[in-house]
Amino acid sequence: MKSTSELTDFYYKELYPSLSELEKTRLHILSQLKWYGAMGAVSFLVTVIWMGKNFGLLHPLMMGIVIGFAALASITYRFMIKGYAKDFKSKIITPLIAAIDSHLLYNPDFMISQHLFSRSSLFKHDIDRYSGNDYVKGSIEGVNLEFSDVHAEYQTKDAKGRTQWHTLFRGQFFVAEFNKHFKSRTIILPDLAEKTFGNLIGGWLQSKNMSRDDVIQLDDPEFEKKFVVYGNDPIEARYILTHSMMKRIVEFQKKISYPLFISFVHNHIHIAIATKKDLFEPAIFTSLLDYKQVMEYVSTLNNTIGLVEELKLNEKLWSKG
Amino acid sequence: MNTISIIFALIAVIAVLMYNSLISKKNQVDNIFGGVDAVLKKRFDLIPNLVASVSQYMEHEKTTLETITELRASAMKPGITDDQKIALDAKLTSALGAINIAMEAYPDLKANENVMHLQRSLNEAEEQISAARRAYNQAVTDLNNAIEMFPTNLMASYMKLQPKKVFEITVNERANVDVGALFTK
Repeated sequence: MKSTSELTDFYYKELYPSLSELEKTRLHILSQLKWYGAMGAVSFLVTVIWMGKNFGLLHPLMMGIVIGFAALASITYRFMIKGYAKDFKSKIITPLIAAIDSHLLYNPDFMISQHLFSRSSLFKHDIDRYSGNDYVKGSIEGVNLEFSDVHAEYQTKDAKGRTQWHTLFRGQFFVAEFNKHFKSRTIILPDLAEKTFGNLIGGWLQSKNMSRDDVIQLDDPEFEKKFVVYGNDPIEARYILTHSMMKRIVEFQKKISYPLFISFVHNHIHIAIATKKDLFEPAIFTSLLDYKQVMEYVSTLNNTIGLVEELKLNEKLWSKG
Repeated sequence: MNTISIIFALIAVIAVLMYNSLISKKNQVDNIFGGVDAVLKKRFDLIPNLVASVSQYMEHEKTTLETITELRASAMKPGITDDQKIALDAKLTSALGAINIAMEAYPDLKANENVMHLQRSLNEAEEQISAARRAYNQAVTDLNNAIEMFPTNLMASYMKLQPKKVFEITVNERANVDVGALFTK
């Protein structure tokens, strides 16, 4: 596997021809966007003023006009960047992933299966809408893995019978084989209760979580402060979460700034990183050659694929050989 | 009269809750000790094979190997107490650790597929034992806390519950002897 700096070099050197071509397209789209944006803003203002004069600003139709303009803007935007986004993924992200490891396959339109997402038992809610993209599958150092962006939602009905959509999880979802055999279920969640209510009440609240298995208290204070662990086998949970494994998880959490959810089910490790956004979407308003932007693509990929080494999933025990 | 009966009922409910929580903690300790026992047995089963395979190579460690065999025999005797088992396990772990380190001096052993297999199985068992010990220690700590803390200590002394001993986890063991690394050097 390549280091982040090697990949950054690769990005700037090898991908430069495609990048400069895409950068031209980006600038073209940007100027078009500005032009359409200005036109849209003017026509919106004219409509609003006309409405205000004839019907008053608080007329119910105003709401429709605002929503209509917003929808039109969003559709136009998506339509304009569609080709560009596709080119970006095939000309930049695809070779970048191949450069990290040639055993990895990438499909920009596919996602990790809902079955795997549900199997992780990380999010206890029925899923009514499931989508995603940027799917990567392959093996790193003999460890099979797959990941993608995932957006899982559920719906509720309010008092007036209107449907409301809520995001259950949005971010990166990663599944890999684990290097130890186990039969139990162990789930690691961010420690929100203890953070909010303190040690005593938070701890009590966690132990009363009826939808989860028993709380498993672990012997690493730093890990305990950041996470809460639920499981149905206290011995196997510790077999999985050795002292070094807990340290590695804490280190990984420090490296990323998003909430981290991990579960060990069915001999696999499932990791959900709640980034709350789509990754690998092409930049429109910043240059594709901008260092910060590049680092975001490269380090996101490297962090995720590097999880195999980071958590030492490649160190197999004898019986799992 | 009414107030007194309410207070009395309240005390009874609290007493029942305390009693049940102590029993569940005690059972949890026994339950996890069962798990510890199972993985310890797994290691015991590997020992005779290991001793037989390495003794022809390891002339200088004869005494350590004999100690291991003896410790295994005494740990497997029926009717020994949990505390004795815990003490024997600590000795066995350190003796096996010594053998692990000594193996480095015998290149012939590294070439022996059978010994390597045994070592890795032993390493896996060792990891499971370590996990079981940690689980046991947590359960014992929970029980001991309840036995010593107010007000559950009153109920515990009435129930004649005694604090239990935890496994001592040596610094050595925390590092977890990496047998694989010894062989791949």
